Amino acid sequence: MSRFNNFRSRLADELEIPNNALSNNFDLRMHGNKKVIIENHLGITLYEHNIVTIKTNGLNITIKGSKFKIEEINDYKVIVNGNIKEIIFHKE
Amino acid sequence: MLIFKLISLIRGYVVIRLESNLEKTLNILRRKNIAVWDLEKNEKGIKFKISYEDYIKHADLINEINHNAREKGLIFKLNRMKFRKGFSLGILISIICLFLLTSLIWQVEVVGTNQVNTKKIIELLRENNITMPASLSKKDLLDIETLIYTNLDIFKFVEVYAEGSKLIIFVREKEPEITEIKSNEPSSIVSAKNAIVHKVIAKSGQPVVKEGSVVYEGQTLIMGIMQNKNTEEFIMVPSHGVVYGKTYYNFEMKEEKVRKISVATNRSKSVYYLKINGNSIKIIGDKDPYENYNYKESIINVPIVSKLSDITILKGTYYEEEIKEIEIDEKTAQNKMKVSMFDELIKKCSSDSRIVKSTINYSEDDEYYYMMAQIELIEDIGEKVRIFPITEDQSEDAKED
Repeated sequence: MSRFNNFRSRLADELEIPNNALSNNFDLRMHGNKKVIIENHLGITLYEHNIVTIKTNGLNITIKGSKFKIEEINDYKVIVNGNIKEIIFHKE
Repeated sequence: MLIFKLISLIRGYVVIRLESNLEKTLNILRRKNIAVWDLEKNEKGIKFKISYEDYIKHADLINEINHNAREKGLIFKLNRMKFRKGFSLGILISIICLFLLTSLIWQVEVVGTNQVNTKKIIELLRENNITMPASLSKKDLLDIETLIYTNLDIFKFVEVYAEGSKLIIFVREKEPEITEIKSNEPSSIVSAKNAIVHKVIAKSGQPVVKEGSVVYEGQTLIMGIMQNKNTEEFIMVPSHGVVYGKTYYNFEMKEEKVRKISVATNRSKSVYYLKINGNSIKIIGDKDPYENYNYKESIINVPIVSKLSDITILKGTYYEEEIKEIEIDEKTAQNKMKVSMFDELIKKCSSDSRIVKSTINYSEDDEYYYMMAQIELIEDIGEKVRIFPITEDQSEDAKED
């Protein structure tokens, strides 16, 4: 699944079309170190004051910091607010 | 997000508290496509919000995971009103009363005239059964305009409009007509200025001054009262003629040697205000960011909001300016003073005046250039005034005195 996903991502790059139109990769955006927006996620696996782990396709994203608050979560995106110190990507 | 929160406040939302199984619950809600927001963790557990629609749709599921759900929002407040019928009725009555009372006109304000005419207008309204408080439609306002305009001849413009609970009557008084002296009316010619008489050309009337006479303002030059040679009675005639006089005008002018001018530096800063009902609240930016500046304001209308209410955004821009000093040379200063002197002279004298002699002296000190000038003119100094015969009453009064 992952390799096929990488192929789709490469194809999107070659065709110069938005990556998320073909691939199944997540989209991560940061506003300073205060807000993280993750699109195309698969759910929250851990939520504490100082750590949030979000599952995505093939990777788990761990956000470390303090005063975390989940501003919004729906089927498509999750918005995490707080003081972000570290973002770690690790395989399942 | 603010709009989203506002909509959910109106449509209603449910606050759910959980003590355990947080991640599992969130993933179940996500799978059911239920939007969750404002998720916060505290010592007791977590708290989050979901919309009231989702709560109703998945009531079984939510009741299974939690029994402590608090409903919030405008819709619930309105639902509670169903049970408080007296209170709801009271609010409804007070809204109706407020609407009725504010739609009435309670006060009349007359703008553009004196106290006497204001009283006349109010009296006229009272005579026509227009008393306050009154409910006036647009047609009534037009009728009042017509009523004032037709009954009081002293106004050339009348506008009546309602502003809140006030009736504003805006009037403009007729200017008094300038009385023109007809050619066959008895009149005299008097001096309009202090002068030395240069020439007297009298077509009709009795000249009472000669060439070289010194005359003062208001002094009679050509009299409109003549003695009839046959009957030796005094008769009043219209005076016609021109009296030229020498007049003197003195001018003292000064001009700075160094002038300060402000030059724009192409730097600017903006400040934004939220304007609500004439009051402005600063939102972004600083006031007076530069020492010297030129300030300009523009109003930004917020789409829909500005149309529905009196809320606009005011943008003020401060353009920085530098003060520079420029030196003015003597010739430029002299020319400028001379031009402004002649400008003033034209205003003071009549159009057919002729300059006979002009003496101009220039001087200067550390700060200013000075100009002292005396201009000698020959101009028409006569001014026609109407004369009236003395009535019998006035003559008797004069005798008694």
